[in-house]
Amino acid sequence: MEENLGHASLYALRLLLSGDPDLWNIIGVSFSVSVRAILISTPLAVVLAFLIAYARFPARHPLIAVLQSLQSIPTVVVGLLVYMLLSRRGLFGDLHLLFTQTAMVIGQIVIAFLFVVPMAHGVLAAADRRAWETARTLGAAPWRAMLTVMTELRFGLLAVAIAAFARIITEVGTSIMVGGNIESFTRNIPTAIALETSKGEFAQGIALGLVLLVLALLLNVFLGMLQGKGEMR
Amino acid sequence: MNGVDVSLPILRLTDIRKTLPTGRRLLEIDELSIHTGRCLLLTGPNGIGKTTLLKILSGLDPPDHALVDYRGTRLPWPAARRHYRRDVIYLHQQVYLFDRSVTDNVNYGLRGLGLSRTQVAERVQRALEWAGLSHLAGRNARELSGGEKQRVALTRALVLTPRVLLLDEPFSGLDEESRGRTGFLIQRLKSEQVGVVVTSHELLPLTGIADEHLELRAGRLAPPARTVPRAGVGLRPRDEWRGHVAYLNTKVGDEAS
Repeated sequence: MEENLGHASLYALRLLLSGDPDLWNIIGVSFSVSVRAILISTPLAVVLAFLIAYARFPARHPLIAVLQSLQSIPTVVVGLLVYMLLSRRGLFGDLHLLFTQTAMVIGQIVIAFLFVVPMAHGVLAAADRRAWETARTLGAAPWRAMLTVMTELRFGLLAVAIAAFARIITEVGTSIMVGGNIESFTRNIPTAIALETSKGEFAQGIALGLVLLVLALLLNVFLGMLQGKGEMR
Repeated sequence: MNGVDVSLPILRLTDIRKTLPTGRRLLEIDELSIHTGRCLLLTGPNGIGKTTLLKILSGLDPPDHALVDYRGTRLPWPAARRHYRRDVIYLHQQVYLFDRSVTDNVNYGLRGLGLSRTQVAERVQRALEWAGLSHLAGRNARELSGGEKQRVALTRALVLTPRVLLLDEPFSGLDEESRGRTGFLIQRLKSEQVGVVVTSHELLPLTGIADEHLELRAGRLAPPARTVPRAGVGLRPRDEWRGHVAYLNTKVGDEAS
């Protein structure tokens, strides 16, 4: 077994470095889907988090509690909900989106959104109120004051977005359910690893696992740098 | 000295009421007027509501009730604040500077006014020179000393030519020299017809600057029982201060003439 693993790992490296088209196609799908999802969900989630942190309205506290408990919603549950909405008899069945990359993007938008809202709310609620008050007293309209507060917290908010990206690019539940793991179309890194492993072909699985590990490492280094920057100020 | 106009207040609030969530009645003020070119000193123990009052005056935090006389109309606070907010600027006890350059702090308010880039740049440059901050223009505002930060915050407000400036404990945490500078700036504001409201625990730096002194006690404003450092009358400054205050007065006199 150990020998197998060693051989498989070497083969995996060779696959990666030789630019194996199938392998790199899978990596491309992962990044394409997750980058689209994070770019769409983060701005919306941060604005909602800001409203929850700064506006006063009834049922604000129950809403915060609900959103906090939804933060770590199982991805298969999101997959189930999106599947039901997109399936032929679902609410949006006419759009024929099930088993497309768009369906995967939608699923990951939901996961990222639910992850970012409570995290960004934490960042914004703990921030210095004087930023908002100063912007307002200097004549900024509410929307501009909001952007100013977010700019002041850019390092913290970017860290939240990066953590959300790490969560969606590694998730398998939603992708496999609404994407369908279709070769060179909706097969991304996690679904490919699941498939290769079940077939007993570890090399490609290990190669893809390495990509995710390197990505996680890079994101963590970047996060550490951001936190350092945030603390200096 | 500065041709003080006492005829009509710039801003007048009546029936200011504010109750805390705990049920404690914080403010119960019948009348508060701010006049052109005059400095009103507000004193009172900590937690008595001075900052809350300034934030109501600035339009930042809502009172439970207040009527506002501004530019000839009397409106309830929520309706009035949209009209007068632009003319009133509040400065925190610990001023807040945005995490960007001194220039970008000072031009913050101007950029929302629809001026051209060159107009904004010119006004900022003039303001920085006026405040003696030109050499710090490109520095990140967070890296400055306490006194410098306060000067940047004041300049950032003044470049908007407000009619009223609300200063919350502007002398706290400053060294002697910065206090002198701040006092000098308040004098200058008065001479430029800005109405100034200052809260302070320290009366000495306001000697010869404050025109009126009110004390906030049990939610109400009243003239204080103890001595008032009023403009012209004032406390006798301590020996080490006498020279400094005299210097400030002559300097302002020179500017005005």
